[in-house]
Amino acid sequence: MNTKSDSIQGQEQSRRSLAEWVTFSIAAAILSTVIGLVLYIWLGKQSQPPILSVTYEKTIRKSEGQFYVPFVLLNKGGETVESVRVVAKLKMSNGIEELGEQEIDFLSSGEVQNGAFVFSKDPKKGQINIRVTSYKLP
Amino acid sequence: MSLKIKSLLSSLGYSVSFFKAMPSMRRFNQNVWRRELNDLIRGISGGFLFGVPLLYTMEVWWIGSSLEPPRLLIAIAITSTIIFLINQTTGFRSASNIRIRDTLMDTVEALALGLFCTTCILVLFQEINLETPLGEALGKLIYESVPFAIGVALSNQLLRDEPDEKPHQPNARANQSHPKKELNGTIADIGATLIGGIIVAFSVAPTDEVPMLAASTSGPWLLALIAVSLLISYAIVFAANFSNQTKRQRQQGIFQHPVSETIASYLVSLVAAALMLWFFDKLSASDPWSTWLRYAIILGLPTTVGGAAGRLAV
Repeated sequence: MNTKSDSIQGQEQSRRSLAEWVTFSIAAAILSTVIGLVLYIWLGKQSQPPILSVTYEKTIRKSEGQFYVPFVLLNKGGETVESVRVVAKLKMSNGIEELGEQEIDFLSSGEVQNGAFVFSKDPKKGQINIRVTSYKLP
Repeated sequence: MSLKIKSLLSSLGYSVSFFKAMPSMRRFNQNVWRRELNDLIRGISGGFLFGVPLLYTMEVWWIGSSLEPPRLLIAIAITSTIIFLINQTTGFRSASNIRIRDTLMDTVEALALGLFCTTCILVLFQEINLETPLGEALGKLIYESVPFAIGVALSNQLLRDEPDEKPHQPNARANQSHPKKELNGTIADIGATLIGGIIVAFSVAPTDEVPMLAASTSGPWLLALIAVSLLISYAIVFAANFSNQTKRQRQQGIFQHPVSETIASYLVSLVAAALMLWFFDKLSASDPWSTWLRYAIILGLPTTVGGAAGRLAV
Protein backbone atom coordinates (compact mmCIF):
# COMPACT_ATOMS: atom_id res chain seq x y z
CA MET A 1 0.00 0.00 0.00
CA ASN A 2 2.74 2.38 1.03
CA THR A 3 4.79 1.41 -1.98
CA LYS A 4 1.85 2.26 -4.23
CA SER A 5 1.19 5.70 -2.68
CA ASP A 6 4.96 6.38 -2.61
CA SER A 7 5.20 5.59 -6.29
CA ILE A 8 2.22 7.89 -6.98
CA GLN A 9 3.96 10.59 -4.94
CA GLY A 10 7.15 10.05 -6.90
CA GLN A 11 5.28 10.37 -10.19
CA GLU A 12 3.52 13.52 -8.95
CA GLN A 13 6.81 15.11 -7.96
CA SER A 14 8.22 14.53 -11.42
CA ARG A 15 5.15 15.96 -13.19
CA ARG A 16 2.73 18.75 -12.40
CA SER A 17 -0.23 17.97 -10.15
CA LEU A 18 -3.83 18.72 -11.13
CA ALA A 19 -3.82 21.67 -8.72
CA GLU A 20 -0.77 23.14 -10.43
CA TRP A 21 -2.37 22.65 -13.87
CA VAL A 22 -5.54 24.41 -12.70
CA THR A 23 -3.47 27.34 -11.40
CA PHE A 24 -1.48 27.49 -14.62
CA SER A 25 -4.64 27.43 -16.77
CA ILE A 26 -6.18 30.34 -14.85
CA ALA A 27 -2.86 32.23 -14.91
CA ALA A 28 -2.44 31.68 -18.66
CA ALA A 29 -6.03 32.86 -19.24
CA ILE A 30 -5.40 36.07 -17.22
CA LEU A 31 -2.12 36.82 -18.99
CA SER A 32 -3.46 36.11 -22.48
CA THR A 33 -6.54 38.27 -21.79
CA VAL A 34 -4.33 41.21 -20.75
CA ILE A 35 -2.01 40.77 -23.77
CA GLY A 36 -5.06 40.37 -26.04
CA LEU A 37 -6.59 43.60 -24.72
CA VAL A 38 -3.31 45.49 -25.25
CA LEU A 39 -3.19 44.22 -28.85
CA TYR A 40 -6.84 45.17 -29.33
CA ILE A 41 -6.11 48.75 -28.19
CA TRP A 42 -2.97 48.88 -30.33
CA LEU A 43 -4.76 47.78 -33.50
CA GLY A 44 -7.86 49.87 -32.89
CA LYS A 45 -6.02 52.95 -31.67
CA GLN A 46 -7.03 56.27 -33.17
CA SER A 47 -4.03 58.27 -34.31
CA GLN A 48 -5.75 61.46 -33.21
CA PRO A 49 -4.14 64.24 -31.19
CA PRO A 50 -5.82 65.23 -27.89
CA ILE A 51 -9.28 66.74 -28.33
CA LEU A 52 -10.43 68.40 -25.12
CA SER A 53 -13.98 69.45 -24.49
CA VAL A 54 -15.38 71.12 -21.40
CA THR A 55 -19.05 71.58 -20.60
CA TYR A 56 -20.77 72.99 -17.56
CA GLU A 57 -23.96 71.83 -16.00
CA LYS A 58 -26.97 74.12 -15.66
CA THR A 59 -27.73 72.85 -12.15
CA ILE A 60 -25.92 75.51 -10.14
CA ARG A 61 -25.75 74.93 -6.40
CA LYS A 62 -25.89 77.80 -3.93
CA SER A 63 -24.35 77.40 -0.50
CA GLU A 64 -23.36 80.04 2.10
CA GLY A 65 -23.56 82.87 -0.40
CA GLN A 66 -21.43 81.11 -3.05
CA PHE A 67 -22.45 79.60 -6.36
CA TYR A 68 -21.00 76.26 -7.47
CA VAL A 69 -20.93 75.56 -11.20
CA PRO A 70 -20.03 71.91 -11.95
CA PHE A 71 -18.08 71.18 -15.12
CA VAL A 72 -17.11 68.04 -17.05
CA LEU A 73 -13.82 67.79 -18.93
CA LEU A 74 -13.41 65.06 -21.56
CA ASN A 75 -10.46 63.99 -23.70
CA LYS A 76 -12.03 62.73 -26.94
CA GLY A 77 -8.67 62.39 -28.70
CA GLY A 78 -6.26 59.49 -28.82
CA GLU A 79 -3.36 60.88 -26.77
CA THR A 80 -2.91 61.43 -23.06
CA VAL A 81 -2.35 64.98 -21.81
CA GLU A 82 -0.99 66.53 -18.63
CA SER A 83 -1.52 69.83 -16.80
CA VAL A 84 -4.78 70.72 -18.53
CA ARG A 85 -5.81 74.28 -17.65
CA VAL A 86 -9.49 75.16 -17.61
CA VAL A 87 -10.56 78.79 -17.19
CA ALA A 88 -14.07 80.04 -16.43
CA LYS A 89 -15.13 83.64 -16.81
CA LEU A 90 -18.38 84.99 -15.41
CA LYS A 91 -19.46 88.30 -16.94
CA MET A 92 -22.31 90.06 -15.16
CA SER A 93 -24.70 92.39 -16.95
CA ASN A 94 -23.29 95.37 -15.00
CA GLY A 95 -19.81 94.65 -16.39
CA ILE A 96 -18.32 92.99 -13.27
CA GLU A 97 -16.19 89.93 -14.12
CA GLU A 98 -15.15 86.96 -12.02
CA LEU A 99 -12.50 84.45 -13.02
CA GLY A 100 -11.99 80.82 -11.99
CA GLU A 101 -9.07 78.51 -12.83
CA GLN A 102 -8.50 74.78 -12.63
CA GLU A 103 -5.55 72.58 -13.47
CA ILE A 104 -6.14 68.87 -14.10
CA ASP A 105 -2.92 66.88 -13.61
CA PHE A 106 -3.63 64.07 -16.00
CA LEU A 107 -6.23 63.13 -18.61
CA SER A 108 -5.86 60.01 -20.71
CA SER A 109 -7.71 59.23 -23.92
CA GLY A 110 -11.43 58.91 -23.24
CA GLU A 111 -11.08 60.00 -19.61
CA VAL A 112 -13.59 62.28 -17.92
CA GLN A 113 -12.80 64.59 -15.00
CA ASN A 114 -15.38 66.42 -12.95
CA GLY A 115 -14.99 69.60 -10.90
CA ALA A 116 -16.67 72.87 -10.04
CA PHE A 117 -16.00 76.60 -10.27
CA VAL A 118 -17.03 78.76 -7.35
CA PHE A 119 -18.36 82.29 -7.92
CA SER A 120 -19.60 84.90 -5.49
CA LYS A 121 -22.14 86.33 -7.98
CA ASP A 122 -25.15 84.43 -9.31
CA PRO A 123 -24.13 82.97 -12.70
CA LYS A 124 -27.78 82.94 -13.78
CA LYS A 125 -27.71 86.75 -13.85
CA GLY A 126 -24.67 86.84 -16.11
CA GLN A 127 -22.88 84.90 -18.81
CA ILE A 128 -20.42 82.06 -18.17
CA ASN A 129 -17.65 81.16 -20.56
CA ILE A 130 -15.65 78.02 -19.73
CA ARG A 131 -12.80 76.83 -21.94
CA VAL A 132 -9.59 74.82 -21.98
CA THR A 133 -6.61 77.16 -22.32
CA SER A 134 -3.61 74.81 -22.42
CA TYR A 135 -2.16 71.35 -21.82
CA LYS A 136 1.18 69.59 -22.18
CA LEU A 137 2.10 66.20 -23.57
CA PRO A 138 3.68 63.71 -21.19
CA MET B 1 -15.24 -8.20 0.98
CA SER B 2 -16.94 -11.22 -0.48
CA LEU B 3 -15.17 -13.51 -2.90
CA LYS B 4 -17.60 -12.55 -5.70
CA ILE B 5 -16.80 -8.86 -5.44
CA LYS B 6 -13.09 -9.67 -5.13
CA SER B 7 -13.12 -11.73 -8.30
CA LEU B 8 -15.18 -9.10 -10.13
CA LEU B 9 -12.73 -6.37 -9.15
CA SER B 10 -9.72 -8.44 -10.08
CA SER B 11 -11.34 -9.15 -13.46
CA LEU B 12 -11.66 -5.36 -13.91
CA GLY B 13 -7.98 -4.95 -13.09
CA TYR B 14 -8.29 -3.56 -9.53
CA SER B 15 -6.67 -5.06 -6.47
CA VAL B 16 -7.87 -4.87 -2.86
CA SER B 17 -4.71 -2.99 -1.92
CA PHE B 18 -5.82 -0.24 -4.33
CA PHE B 19 -8.93 0.41 -2.22
CA LYS B 20 -6.93 0.22 0.97
CA ALA B 21 -4.67 2.88 -0.50
CA MET B 22 -7.61 5.17 -1.32
CA PRO B 23 -7.73 7.11 2.01
CA SER B 24 -4.02 7.84 1.72
CA MET B 25 -4.53 8.92 -1.91
CA ARG B 26 -7.33 11.26 -0.85
CA ARG B 27 -5.06 12.65 1.86
CA PHE B 28 -2.34 13.03 -0.76
CA ASN B 29 -4.74 14.85 -3.11
CA GLN B 30 -5.80 17.14 -0.27
CA ASN B 31 -2.12 17.81 0.43
CA VAL B 32 -1.53 18.65 -3.23
CA TRP B 33 -4.28 21.32 -3.19
CA ARG B 34 -3.15 22.62 0.20
CA ARG B 35 0.45 22.84 -1.00
CA GLU B 36 -0.70 24.67 -4.12
CA LEU B 37 -2.72 27.14 -2.02
CA ASN B 38 0.30 27.66 0.28
CA ASP B 39 2.52 28.32 -2.74
CA LEU B 40 0.08 30.87 -4.14
CA ILE B 41 -0.35 32.63 -0.78
CA ARG B 42 3.44 32.71 -0.38
CA GLY B 43 3.74 34.25 -3.85
CA ILE B 44 1.07 36.87 -3.12
CA SER B 45 2.72 37.71 0.24
CA GLY B 46 6.10 38.17 -1.45
CA GLY B 47 4.43 40.34 -4.08
CA PHE B 48 2.95 42.63 -1.45
CA LEU B 49 6.24 42.86 0.47
CA PHE B 50 8.12 43.92 -2.65
CA GLY B 51 5.45 45.80 -4.59
CA VAL B 52 3.34 47.67 -2.03
CA PRO B 53 5.38 50.94 -1.98
CA LEU B 54 5.01 51.33 -5.76
CA LEU B 55 1.27 50.76 -5.50
CA TYR B 56 1.25 54.11 -3.65
CA THR B 57 3.15 55.97 -6.37
CA MET B 58 0.90 58.02 -8.61
CA GLU B 59 3.67 58.61 -11.14
CA VAL B 60 3.61 54.87 -11.88
CA TRP B 61 -0.16 55.06 -12.52
CA TRP B 62 0.38 57.99 -14.88
CA ILE B 63 3.38 56.54 -16.70
CA GLY B 64 1.47 53.33 -17.35
CA SER B 65 -1.58 55.23 -18.59
CA SER B 66 0.29 57.48 -20.99
CA LEU B 67 2.41 54.80 -22.68
CA GLU B 68 1.64 53.33 -26.05
CA PRO B 69 0.54 49.65 -26.33
CA PRO B 70 3.91 48.46 -27.78
CA ARG B 71 5.67 49.80 -24.67
CA LEU B 72 3.21 47.90 -22.48
CA LEU B 73 4.00 44.67 -24.36
CA ILE B 74 7.74 45.38 -23.99
CA ALA B 75 7.18 45.90 -20.23
CA ILE B 76 5.48 42.48 -20.01
CA ALA B 77 8.31 40.87 -22.03
CA ILE B 78 11.09 42.41 -19.89
CA THR B 79 9.30 41.48 -16.64
CA SER B 80 8.79 37.92 -17.90
CA THR B 81 12.52 37.61 -18.63
CA ILE B 82 13.49 38.90 -15.18
CA ILE B 83 11.00 36.57 -13.47
CA PHE B 84 12.14 33.62 -15.57
CA LEU B 85 15.74 34.22 -14.45
CA ILE B 86 14.69 34.56 -10.80
CA ASN B 87 12.54 31.42 -11.04
CA GLN B 88 15.54 29.42 -12.18
CA THR B 89 17.18 29.99 -8.80
CA THR B 90 14.31 30.57 -6.38
CA GLY B 91 10.62 31.32 -7.18
CA PHE B 92 7.50 31.15 -5.04
CA ARG B 93 7.00 27.39 -4.97
CA SER B 94 8.18 25.15 -2.13
CA ALA B 95 9.57 22.65 -4.64
CA SER B 96 12.44 23.91 -6.75
CA ASN B 97 12.14 23.81 -10.55
CA ILE B 98 14.44 21.64 -12.55
CA ARG B 99 12.88 21.71 -15.99
CA ILE B 100 12.70 24.79 -18.21
CA ARG B 101 9.01 24.07 -18.88
CA ASP B 102 8.18 24.31 -15.15
CA THR B 103 10.14 27.54 -14.84
CA LEU B 104 8.23 29.00 -17.80
CA MET B 105 4.91 27.95 -16.28
CA ASP B 106 5.85 29.49 -12.92
CA THR B 107 6.76 32.69 -14.77
CA VAL B 108 3.28 32.87 -16.32
CA GLU B 109 1.76 32.26 -12.87
CA ALA B 110 3.89 34.96 -11.20
CA LEU B 111 2.87 37.49 -13.86
CA ALA B 112 -0.80 36.56 -13.53
CA LEU B 113 -0.65 36.78 -9.71
CA GLY B 114 0.90 40.22 -10.07
CA LEU B 115 -1.77 41.37 -12.52
CA PHE B 116 -4.61 39.95 -10.42
CA CYS B 117 -3.50 41.38 -7.07
CA THR B 118 -2.57 44.75 -8.56
CA THR B 119 -6.01 44.99 -10.17
CA CYS B 120 -7.66 44.23 -6.82
CA ILE B 121 -5.66 46.95 -5.01
CA LEU B 122 -6.13 49.55 -7.77
CA VAL B 123 -9.89 48.87 -7.72
CA LEU B 124 -9.79 49.23 -3.93
CA PHE B 125 -8.00 52.58 -4.32
CA GLN B 126 -10.59 53.47 -6.99
CA GLU B 127 -7.80 54.15 -9.44
CA ILE B 128 -9.52 51.68 -11.74
CA ASN B 129 -13.29 51.78 -11.94
CA LEU B 130 -16.00 51.19 -14.53
CA GLU B 131 -15.45 54.68 -15.97
CA THR B 132 -11.69 54.24 -16.47
CA PRO B 133 -10.80 53.95 -20.17
CA LEU B 134 -9.48 50.51 -21.07
CA GLY B 135 -6.07 51.78 -22.21
CA GLU B 136 -5.51 53.70 -18.98
CA ALA B 137 -6.61 50.76 -16.82
CA LEU B 138 -4.30 48.35 -18.68
CA GLY B 139 -1.34 50.73 -18.46
CA LYS B 140 -1.84 51.23 -14.73
CA LEU B 141 -2.15 47.58 -13.88
CA ILE B 142 0.66 46.38 -16.16
CA TYR B 143 3.15 48.92 -14.78
CA GLU B 144 2.07 48.36 -11.18
CA SER B 145 2.21 44.60 -11.61
CA VAL B 146 5.92 44.68 -12.60
CA PRO B 147 7.35 45.05 -9.04
CA PHE B 148 4.53 42.91 -7.67
CA ALA B 149 5.29 40.00 -10.02
CA ILE B 150 9.03 40.28 -9.28
CA GLY B 151 8.10 40.14 -5.56
CA VAL B 152 6.10 36.96 -6.23
CA ALA B 153 9.15 35.37 -7.83
CA LEU B 154 11.39 36.54 -4.98
CA SER B 155 9.03 35.41 -2.21
CA ASN B 156 11.19 32.46 -1.17
CA GLN B 157 14.19 34.78 -0.90
CA LEU B 158 12.42 37.56 0.99
CA LEU B 159 11.82 35.69 4.22
CA ARG B 160 14.14 32.77 4.59
CA ASP B 161 15.21 31.37 7.92
CA GLU B 162 18.52 29.76 8.80
CA PRO B 163 18.20 26.11 7.72
CA ASP B 164 20.02 24.73 10.75
CA GLU B 165 17.30 25.66 13.20
CA LYS B 166 17.08 23.12 15.99
CA PRO B 167 13.88 21.06 16.11
CA HIS B 168 11.47 22.10 18.80
CA GLN B 169 11.70 20.01 21.96
CA PRO B 170 8.35 19.64 23.64
CA ASN B 171 9.11 20.66 27.16
CA ALA B 172 6.58 21.12 29.92
CA ARG B 173 8.56 23.98 31.46
CA ALA B 174 9.06 25.70 28.16
CA ASN B 175 5.36 25.46 27.35
CA GLN B 176 4.35 26.74 30.75
CA SER B 177 3.04 30.26 30.39
CA HIS B 178 5.20 32.65 32.32
CA PRO B 179 3.94 36.23 32.74
CA LYS B 180 7.42 37.78 32.32
CA LYS B 181 8.18 35.67 29.25
CA GLU B 182 4.77 36.55 27.74
CA LEU B 183 5.39 40.24 28.37
CA ASN B 184 8.83 40.05 26.76
CA GLY B 185 7.35 38.16 23.80
CA THR B 186 4.62 40.78 23.39
CA ILE B 187 7.13 43.64 23.57
CA ALA B 188 9.28 41.86 20.98
CA ASP B 189 6.22 41.44 18.72
CA ILE B 190 5.21 45.10 19.02
CA GLY B 191 8.81 46.17 18.37
CA ALA B 192 9.10 43.91 15.32
CA THR B 193 5.75 45.14 13.96
CA LEU B 194 6.84 48.77 14.40
CA ILE B 195 10.29 48.26 12.84
CA GLY B 196 8.98 46.22 9.90
CA GLY B 197 6.12 48.64 9.33
CA ILE B 198 8.40 51.69 9.44
CA ILE B 199 10.91 50.12 7.01
CA VAL B 200 8.20 49.46 4.40
CA ALA B 201 5.89 52.47 4.94
CA PHE B 202 8.40 55.24 5.79
CA SER B 203 9.02 55.98 2.12
CA VAL B 204 5.27 56.18 1.43
CA ALA B 205 4.31 58.39 4.42
CA PRO B 206 5.68 61.76 3.15
CA THR B 207 4.17 61.43 -0.34
CA ASP B 208 1.01 63.13 -1.59
CA GLU B 209 -0.60 59.81 -2.44
CA VAL B 210 -1.90 59.25 1.09
CA PRO B 211 -3.98 62.49 1.24
CA MET B 212 -4.97 61.99 -2.38
CA LEU B 213 -6.22 58.44 -1.84
CA ALA B 214 -7.84 59.44 1.46
CA ALA B 215 -9.77 62.23 -0.28
CA SER B 216 -11.30 59.85 -2.78
CA THR B 217 -11.94 56.93 -0.42
CA SER B 218 -15.31 56.71 1.29
CA GLY B 219 -16.52 54.57 4.23
CA PRO B 220 -17.20 51.21 2.55
CA TRP B 221 -13.89 51.34 0.69
CA LEU B 222 -12.05 52.08 3.93
CA LEU B 223 -13.74 49.07 5.54
CA ALA B 224 -12.67 46.95 2.57
CA LEU B 225 -9.11 48.26 2.94
CA ILE B 226 -9.12 47.28 6.64
CA ALA B 227 -10.32 43.78 5.71
CA VAL B 228 -7.67 43.41 2.98
CA SER B 229 -4.90 44.66 5.32
CA LEU B 230 -5.91 42.11 7.97
CA LEU B 231 -6.12 39.33 5.37
CA ILE B 232 -2.68 40.07 3.91
CA SER B 233 -1.11 40.32 7.38
CA TYR B 234 -2.63 36.96 8.37
CA ALA B 235 -1.54 35.39 5.08
CA ILE B 236 2.08 36.54 5.40
CA VAL B 237 2.51 35.37 9.00
CA PHE B 238 0.30 32.32 9.28
CA ALA B 239 -0.70 31.03 5.84
CA ALA B 240 2.16 31.69 3.42
CA ASN B 241 4.26 28.91 4.95
CA PHE B 242 7.40 31.02 5.04
CA SER B 243 10.32 29.29 6.70
CA ASN B 244 9.91 31.23 9.93
CA GLN B 245 6.23 30.41 10.31
CA THR B 246 6.76 27.44 12.64
CA LYS B 247 9.01 29.55 14.82
CA ARG B 248 6.38 32.29 14.78
CA GLN B 249 3.73 29.89 16.06
CA ARG B 250 5.99 29.05 19.03
CA GLN B 251 6.47 32.72 19.92
CA GLN B 252 5.10 33.53 23.35
CA GLY B 253 3.10 36.62 24.19
CA ILE B 254 -0.24 38.00 25.24
CA PHE B 255 -1.76 37.88 21.74
CA GLN B 256 -0.59 34.40 20.83
CA HIS B 257 -3.45 33.33 18.65
CA PRO B 258 -3.33 33.94 14.90
CA VAL B 259 -6.52 36.03 14.82
CA SER B 260 -5.84 38.09 17.96
CA GLU B 261 -2.21 38.62 16.93
CA THR B 262 -3.28 39.79 13.45
CA ILE B 263 -5.79 42.28 14.91
CA ALA B 264 -3.42 43.52 17.64
CA SER B 265 -0.56 44.02 15.21
CA TYR B 266 -2.90 45.84 12.79
CA LEU B 267 -3.81 48.28 15.56
CA VAL B 268 -0.09 48.78 16.29
CA SER B 269 0.46 49.39 12.55
CA LEU B 270 -2.34 51.98 12.47
CA VAL B 271 -0.71 53.86 15.37
CA ALA B 272 2.69 53.63 13.63
CA ALA B 273 1.13 54.89 10.36
CA ALA B 274 -0.49 57.86 12.14
CA LEU B 275 2.81 58.73 13.88
CA MET B 276 4.74 58.58 10.59
CA LEU B 277 2.18 60.89 8.95
CA TRP B 278 2.43 63.30 11.90
CA PHE B 279 6.25 63.13 11.68
CA PHE B 280 6.13 64.18 8.02
CA ASP B 281 3.57 66.90 8.79
CA LYS B 282 0.83 65.24 6.78
CA LEU B 283 -1.32 65.26 9.92
CA SER B 284 -1.45 67.82 12.69
CA ALA B 285 -3.21 68.09 16.04
CA SER B 286 -5.75 70.52 14.53
CA ASP B 287 -6.95 67.96 11.98
CA PRO B 288 -10.25 66.22 12.81
CA TRP B 289 -10.10 62.66 14.12
CA SER B 290 -11.80 61.39 10.96
CA THR B 291 -8.84 62.66 8.87
CA TRP B 292 -6.39 60.91 11.22
CA LEU B 293 -8.36 57.69 10.93
CA ARG B 294 -8.74 57.90 7.15
CA TYR B 295 -5.04 58.65 6.57
CA ALA B 296 -3.92 55.96 9.04
CA ILE B 297 -6.07 53.31 7.33
CA ILE B 298 -4.65 54.26 3.91
CA LEU B 299 -1.04 54.07 5.13
CA GLY B 300 -1.99 51.12 7.35
CA LEU B 301 -1.77 48.68 4.41
CA PRO B 302 1.99 49.03 3.73
CA THR B 303 2.66 49.38 7.47
CA THR B 304 0.81 46.14 8.19
CA VAL B 305 2.62 44.31 5.38
CA GLY B 306 5.98 45.48 6.77
CA GLY B 307 4.89 44.69 10.33
CA ALA B 308 3.96 41.14 9.38
CA ALA B 309 7.36 40.62 7.75
CA GLY B 310 8.98 42.11 10.85
CA ARG B 311 7.24 39.62 13.14
CA LEU B 312 8.37 36.72 10.98
CA ALA B 313 11.93 37.97 11.36
CA VAL B 314 11.78 37.97 15.21
